[in-house]
Amino acid sequence: MIPQLLAQLFKKPFTNKHPRKYIPSSSTTFFKDVQNGKETMNPPVKTPERFRGKIVYEKEKCIGCRLCLKVCPSQAIVFKEEEKKIKIYLARCTFCAQCNDICPVHCLQMSDEFLLADTEKYSPRLTVE
Amino acid sequence: MTTTRVTPEEIVSSFQTRFPQGITQPRVERHNGGTLKTEFVHVWFRIETGLLKEAVKHLFAFEPYPHFAVTSGYDLGDTIELVYHFSLFYGERGREISLNMTVTLPKDNPVIDTITDLIPGALISEQEKQEMLGVQIRGIPKDARVFVADDIPEGVFPWRRDETGPDKLVRNLHEGDP
Amino acid sequence: MTTISRTTYQIPIGPIHPALKEPVNFTFEIDGEKIINVDIRLGHVHRSIEWAGTKRNFIQVLYLAERICGICSYCHPMSLALAVERTAHIDVPERAEYLRVVHSELERIASHILWVGVAAHEIGFDSVLFLTWQVREMVLDLIEYLTGNRITKGITMIGGVRRDLTAEMVPRILETLQQLKKQVQRLHRVMLDDSTIQMRCRNCGVLTKEDALKLCAVGPTARASGVRKDVRLDQPYFAFGDLDFEYTTPDVLTGEVHGDVYDRIIVRLLEIQQSIDLIEQSLDRLPAGDIVAESKLPALLASLKKVTGEGIGRMEAPRGEVFHYVRLTAAESPYCWKVRAPTYNNILPWIPMLLGQQIADIPIIAASIDPCMSCTNRVTLVEDNQPSLVDRETLHQLSLEKTRRLRL
Repeated sequence: MIPQLLAQLFKKPFTNKHPRKYIPSSSTTFFKDVQNGKETMNPPVKTPERFRGKIVYEKEKCIGCRLCLKVCPSQAIVFKEEEKKIKIYLARCTFCAQCNDICPVHCLQMSDEFLLADTEKYSPRLTVE
Repeated sequence: MTTTRVTPEEIVSSFQTRFPQGITQPRVERHNGGTLKTEFVHVWFRIETGLLKEAVKHLFAFEPYPHFAVTSGYDLGDTIELVYHFSLFYGERGREISLNMTVTLPKDNPVIDTITDLIPGALISEQEKQEMLGVQIRGIPKDARVFVADDIPEGVFPWRRDETGPDKLVRNLHEGDP
Repeated sequence: MTTISRTTYQIPIGPIHPALKEPVNFTFEIDGEKIINVDIRLGHVHRSIEWAGTKRNFIQVLYLAERICGICSYCHPMSLALAVERTAHIDVPERAEYLRVVHSELERIASHILWVGVAAHEIGFDSVLFLTWQVREMVLDLIEYLTGNRITKGITMIGGVRRDLTAEMVPRILETLQQLKKQVQRLHRVMLDDSTIQMRCRNCGVLTKEDALKLCAVGPTARASGVRKDVRLDQPYFAFGDLDFEYTTPDVLTGEVHGDVYDRIIVRLLEIQQSIDLIEQSLDRLPAGDIVAESKLPALLASLKKVTGEGIGRMEAPRGEVFHYVRLTAAESPYCWKVRAPTYNNILPWIPMLLGQQIADIPIIAASIDPCMSCTNRVTLVEDNQPSLVDRETLHQLSLEKTRRLRL
């Protein structure tokens, strides 16, 4: 074990890089600086292909068959009766992509967007319709 | 450490000879898997409630230590059915046979004998049936709750589907949401 | 003359305790440093999953089964799928069976590597903990590449799997397996050639073969005591009937069986190597074909709605035999679903293992059966209001101090 530990002193760290080298004293100022270009941020790790991120819903293709509602494990999809279209609450979505598989017209896809933190559960950023 | 080669049909007929009226609806299912279609067998039968302990003793004729998996139980309205799952002949490739015995208990008198004196590993499963279905197991060495919490009142049996079921205690957490 | 009477005193440990990875409540009766009696209470992570499963249709219930446990998140939905397939007489295509073998062996590798790290941490060997985490990252990245997610894979479907393994993926899998083999060799040297670990774990927490048979222990816990029980070999499911491997007992490496914690380390390290070998064998023989029996999901749901019968599904999870029983009565949801996780059967062997041992050995013995309480308890989460009389960290510190004493 000792040779392994000594060799580790000279190797690159295995963990993924944090956005900044040292923790900033205020995160909000840090992000503002990054937006203005005063500081650079280490980018997030690249997602693999066919990653299951935020759902993309092509509203025109949807035929209102409601099969996705039947299959959703967490009942995150709600049917809008008047329009015959669906609304997905990402706060409950488990990103399983089962609705993608069952949709007969393939109007649901998974993007690779995963930075979905928000302060409100039902904000417009976290609803797809 | 297996005994002589016994086919599943021989097992069923040996039980039927030992308990002439007690075994009903025997079924031998053969399933296979892989490209070579290696086969394995599941045996199912129903047995009279009073004969269960003798039947478990009869298992020892095939195998010195039968493997007890679990007891499944469900509520069918007037009766409670328990399915005891055993398996024999582990240790050699492809020879294990799963044996499943179903007993029926009337709901007004759900009493059955324990099998922990024959197979000590069945203790947790029997405790679970007592607290989840209200079955009374005669002679159980340790009569205590194992999964259900202490603040669930006595008389509520979570797996039952009648008025003693858990429906009053269910809280749907999402019901406050739009 | 005063008489001094010796009485035993009781220590409750858990359910919230730094030495335990998952909540369980032990009450030990101690005389000096030796344990005389132990009482175990479960039920702290009970989430009423079996009850909730009877209210969901067959595709939703697979995702519920996946969340029974994080580490065994492949075997629970797979056993449920096996049980439903056997009840409904659905034939799974051969390619799907080989793919299932690959996924389940990858999960076994990830779980055993995690266990090696946890066991080393309980003894006080924290460098190995971080080394195993690094090795495990390679496996988890590979799992994400194949299935889309690291832990809750979401790749089970009744009748097959959801994602295929194309020919471009195979070189990357083989390259990761080569690197894994080197790292596992290193783990062997670190864990098995080390004299401190031998001093700490040899003849500690012994489970005799007869106790293991009578208490129906399963998985590596039983195999380390010399019992040849492995569902992959006894009742070959998926494509294990075609592959070439044997039961893993400690006498494969050392020639003798003690049934102690050291033997369990040996069994799990040997199983990692066996799993790498099995993945390579199945990639060699992967047949062409469909990956699922019925790809149109509404047709699958409609056909399952007409099925009556009962069926069982058994699988060898990293911890032992997972058992699912399902009963269908021609409805949208199953009528009855019984889950029996492997730790369920492995809890009773704790009692003979812990009697006569010292308090400082409790963490390593409790961790040696690889307990997964989330799998064992499946009921509503309840607030536990039992106060714990042992200080935080006390037990872990006791374990570390014992290791330091041995080394001096």
